[in-house]
Amino acid sequence: MHNVVIVGGGPAGLSAALTAAVAGAPVLLLDSNPRLGGQYWRTPADNFGDQNENHFDLATGLKLINSVKAQSNIQVLSGAQIWSASHKDGVSTLRVIYQGSEKIINTGNLILATGAYDRSLPFPGWDIPGVMTPGGVQSLIKGHGVVAGKRVVVAGSGPFLLPVAAGLVKSGADVVELLEANKSWRWASSILVLLENLSKIKILENLSKIKEGFYYIEAISKGKVRARFGQAVVGAYAGENGELESVDIAKIDRNFKIKKVRNIKCDVAAIGWGFTADTSLAGALGCKQVVAKDESVVVLIDSKQQTSITGVFAAGEITGIGGSELSMIEGEIAGKSAAKFVGCAVDISRSDLIIRAKKQRFAAALIKAYPIKSGWRSWLDEQTVLCRCEEVDLADLKDSIVELGATDSRTAKLLTRCGMGLCQGRICGRFVVDLVADQLNISPTDIDRIAAVSRPIITPIPLGVLAAGE
Amino acid sequence: MSQFDIQFTFNGETISAISGQSVGAALLAAKQRTLRKTRFNQKGRGVFCGIGVCFDCLVVIDGASNQRACITEVISGMKVQTQVGTNA
Repeated sequence: MHNVVIVGGGPAGLSAALTAAVAGAPVLLLDSNPRLGGQYWRTPADNFGDQNENHFDLATGLKLINSVKAQSNIQVLSGAQIWSASHKDGVSTLRVIYQGSEKIINTGNLILATGAYDRSLPFPGWDIPGVMTPGGVQSLIKGHGVVAGKRVVVAGSGPFLLPVAAGLVKSGADVVELLEANKSWRWASSILVLLENLSKIKILENLSKIKEGFYYIEAISKGKVRARFGQAVVGAYAGENGELESVDIAKIDRNFKIKKVRNIKCDVAAIGWGFTADTSLAGALGCKQVVAKDESVVVLIDSKQQTSITGVFAAGEITGIGGSELSMIEGEIAGKSAAKFVGCAVDISRSDLIIRAKKQRFAAALIKAYPIKSGWRSWLDEQTVLCRCEEVDLADLKDSIVELGATDSRTAKLLTRCGMGLCQGRICGRFVVDLVADQLNISPTDIDRIAAVSRPIITPIPLGVLAAGE
Repeated sequence: MSQFDIQFTFNGETISAISGQSVGAALLAAKQRTLRKTRFNQKGRGVFCGIGVCFDCLVVIDGASNQRACITEVISGMKVQTQVGTNA
């Protein structure tokens, strides 16, 4: 048995690994990516050379990655996919596919840092090749040196749109539109919220975030990109080859209802609405999950970053979307908690807690500044695909409710197979809960939202891999 | 920026790539955006999430179906094909 097992090699997992190892606990770090860094510090293979130009403050990430690699009591398994997990009598069992065969890892001391992915909302044509998530566009640039297209529309809501637009401009793409669905005054209000919350402390405490914002704005302005507010992509059209040719851009009201539409040519549309935590592993282990303020499902933790299961800790985006700096301090606290749990002489300090609280306030202010309003549901037509895997459209979903009598999202899912494809509802699960409730004229319950992210299989794998094992 | 150093095929056509890239990234760089056809409506799909979450960029690699192009590293000589339906 390893002393501390950590899942996820992003800001939270790396910080947890280093902290626990420095405190004296041997660490096994499992990461599904070929290289450490997670989505935030994604880097290409070494043959691509220096990447500092493509990132804001990559140095912090590389320093952390190198420290983890240099730590003799940390073993890293990169490219490790966990396909199944369970927890019984204080022992978590992870079934991992590593280098083509199955490895079973048992541990009494686990830190989950499985991160998040882009939150998507459906609209007519969102399944056409060329419509992507901002995270996807970003990963192509940062991880593979590939620019997804020539004329790119970046749209949706949230601060992440800025680095994506900046990355595209730097890579030579023409960012023809940068659209934030919320009104510009919300940016101002988010600064007011920050000042209000931080007045007792110092504005300087989030200086790094402000610097990061200016870094992106400078990069974007070089590409002569103008950000527009209160606008969204509400339709996408394919050319003869079946690939993206143009999008409908709408002026929307404060509830996201369409006011006026124009069409613009583009070959890529990168559209995202913030992030969804990937709590699949935590859910499979039986960690209690809760619904956060932004209606996403997150892992419940205590002040030590411990989940509802003793000896299972969680850090980073799976405990609530908050960015890399919050993830790092959460990782450090989780690392200390886990090391202490196995008998190392280490304690969470007062300053750890103060830093975490500051970063949490910043995260809360951001969530308040970028609400996703229900008007997006009016963008859909009957033929709009909801479940991309199983090709279930809005008409099918309505049919399951009106004709077949489904009275909750779980039944609608079973009747339509919506969310039952290979991605197991990672893309559609969250918004289908809203659409079903909308049809029934009720509000989704926390049980509905948590059920939508429950996945018995964490990553689908070919059965042959298991057959080849034991 | 690195130079092309490996080659693979997509539906028989030779594509150049850089070691370390994913199959999906190399295909997008070569302007190949439709990677599969869905099993009911035969609709084209391509890289969507780009990080292995959505399973929309499935391709057939050296005869094995359901491979996520976005997270599979391209290897010299790979034979990649459009996946039609489940490729069963």
